[in-house]
Amino acid sequence: MGRSLQYGVEEAVVGFCRFVRSHGLSAGITETLNALRAVEAIGIAGGIKDRQIVKAALRAVLCSSKAEWDQFEDLFEAFWNSRALQSQSPNQKERPERKQLQRESVQAMSPAWSTGEGLKDGSGKAVFGATVHERLKQTDFSDVSDRDLAELERIALRLLRQMSLRLSRRLKTAKLGNKVDLRRTLRLSISRGGEPIYLGFRHRKLQQQKLVILLDISGSMNPYSLFLARFAYALEKYFRRVDTFVFSTRLTDITAALRTPYLRDALQALSQESAGWSGGTKIGESLREFNSRSGRLLSRNTLFIILSDGWDTGEPKLLATELGAIKRRVRKVVWLNPLLGMEGYEPLTRGMSAALPHVDVFASAHNLESLLALERHLG
Amino acid sequence: MAPPTLPPGKAINNIGEVILGFEQLGYITDSALATVVYLALKLGKPLLLEGHAGLGKTEVAKTLAAFVGTKLIRLQCYEGLDANAAVYEWNYQKQLLAIKAADGSKQSVAEKEKHIFSRDFLMERPLLQAIQAPEVSPVLLLDEVDRADEAFEAFLLELLSDFQISIPELGTIKAKHPPLVVLTSNRSRELSDALKRRCLYHWIEYPNREKEMKIVSARLPGIGAELERQVVSFVQSVRRLNLVKSPGVAETLDWAQALMALGKATLDVSAAEETLGCLAKSMDDIAKIKSAGIENIIAEAG
Repeated sequence: MGRSLQYGVEEAVVGFCRFVRSHGLSAGITETLNALRAVEAIGIAGGIKDRQIVKAALRAVLCSSKAEWDQFEDLFEAFWNSRALQSQSPNQKERPERKQLQRESVQAMSPAWSTGEGLKDGSGKAVFGATVHERLKQTDFSDVSDRDLAELERIALRLLRQMSLRLSRRLKTAKLGNKVDLRRTLRLSISRGGEPIYLGFRHRKLQQQKLVILLDISGSMNPYSLFLARFAYALEKYFRRVDTFVFSTRLTDITAALRTPYLRDALQALSQESAGWSGGTKIGESLREFNSRSGRLLSRNTLFIILSDGWDTGEPKLLATELGAIKRRVRKVVWLNPLLGMEGYEPLTRGMSAALPHVDVFASAHNLESLLALERHLG
Repeated sequence: MAPPTLPPGKAINNIGEVILGFEQLGYITDSALATVVYLALKLGKPLLLEGHAGLGKTEVAKTLAAFVGTKLIRLQCYEGLDANAAVYEWNYQKQLLAIKAADGSKQSVAEKEKHIFSRDFLMERPLLQAIQAPEVSPVLLLDEVDRADEAFEAFLLELLSDFQISIPELGTIKAKHPPLVVLTSNRSRELSDALKRRCLYHWIEYPNREKEMKIVSARLPGIGAELERQVVSFVQSVRRLNLVKSPGVAETLDWAQALMALGKATLDVSAAEETLGCLAKSMDDIAKIKSAGIENIIAEAG
């Protein structure tokens, strides 16, 4: 190829591809080669003088959505005017006290992470009656005392198991519903002299869902996130795939950590892996990171769950755009906000109100009962 | 990917030819869209057109077919569309009859089977038609591909990369002349990244005033200059009102036609009010236009 292109042009196109890649467009080797072919094709046509045509050609090859299309405009101008584009990512200044906070909150979480290790031999076991169960089911996760925690976890596991059994049964019955498959019927009839004695049937294919969960782990959200992580883990068997992420100022994939066979170890690993257990939340940016890095997980069979109180220190507009992009790709967006369990709470924070138009189900997940009520939205 | 085979004597050498050719066929285009069409012809890559409804996405494929001088094969996508409806299906009734007819004959089962699964019993659906074109590449329009299921999209992906289809009973059929593929999407959902990456992408915007005037003149030659100017200006203003469904070019043309049918030479408030249904398609949108004041919009349009 390159032969017919001038060396300078070729170099510039490759440079441009690299430039747009660094700004988030997916310009890999294939796209770069396509870009070169495209420029070559129009170059032969009538001299590569018309800037608008070069722009149109490169844009067609390098963009694949409206968002990228819009972004391209600036990138193109910036590159060919060789004007330095101002840095896209706002400087991530770490607050000095952040590390300190982080350590504290990990410590605060530690009784939870050790899943009742120290409590098992204590008085916490088997003395709870049904009413206690009921009470615990309705206790806000953040109010659960250390003593109750082990018991609550035991109940939670049992109930989650019941729930996932129910879920799998439901999926199986939905599989019924046959249609006669003419093609197979005919095939079968040939050996019977053309009499369709045996009917072939076609089953409706079971569409198994995928689940993507994003957990907010900034300060106040910790206890809730812990239980939802457990919830995600319990559900893993019943979905085609479950991907779990935690976020505060940045996004971490914890799916692998949850997949280790022993839950306690898994959670231990989780606490080590998680980057920031405190500090402000940048929901919009975390979602953007998710979209650009893991957007391929989203499809029409995906259920997207996000757990957060909506206290976003970032730009609400970004949150709305990114969540909107997610919403277009998935089957359902579920936003869990534990604050919804508080009396008189209204979702008025800037982040929350920016997000709500893009949310299908807005529910609370502040106690075990409300967590289990989610079953309804999983089918 | 091989470039498509064009009819003999038809060669397209530059972007200007595309603009001119489309214009002669009544499709007003701009250099950006023409460039993309030109690239699709030269590189043999599918063309993915996105944009709001009524901006002539489907029309691009039709015009392209007429421009190149080839056949247009159209597949309208919908939820639940499967290979039977899109690629091929056996003619079961005919097969059953053939089996009955061969009842007394001495043919073996294998022979019978071979007979009823021959080409005579095959019903070709659009995709199979498209790759079996005998001499010239056809234009294959996959309309509203965002409505099809993900499974079908995956199937398309395979088709678009190799241009071949396998039929278990017959073997693999490979395209001699790869079709020129045009996909359109209204973005009711995002298409898979893999599919998008295979395509040249173009986003169709609402046209600006000058372009829309040109389109109206090209499509409705009988329209008076005054009415045309007023209609286009009115629609341009309405698009700024943030309606739920902003009127596309198709609506502009409908509306202009309606006004012409009513014998109007200029746009006045009562005529606009009576025919507003051509422009806005929901109660809310009509109410929004009315509350902005039709006379104001007309006055603004001048």
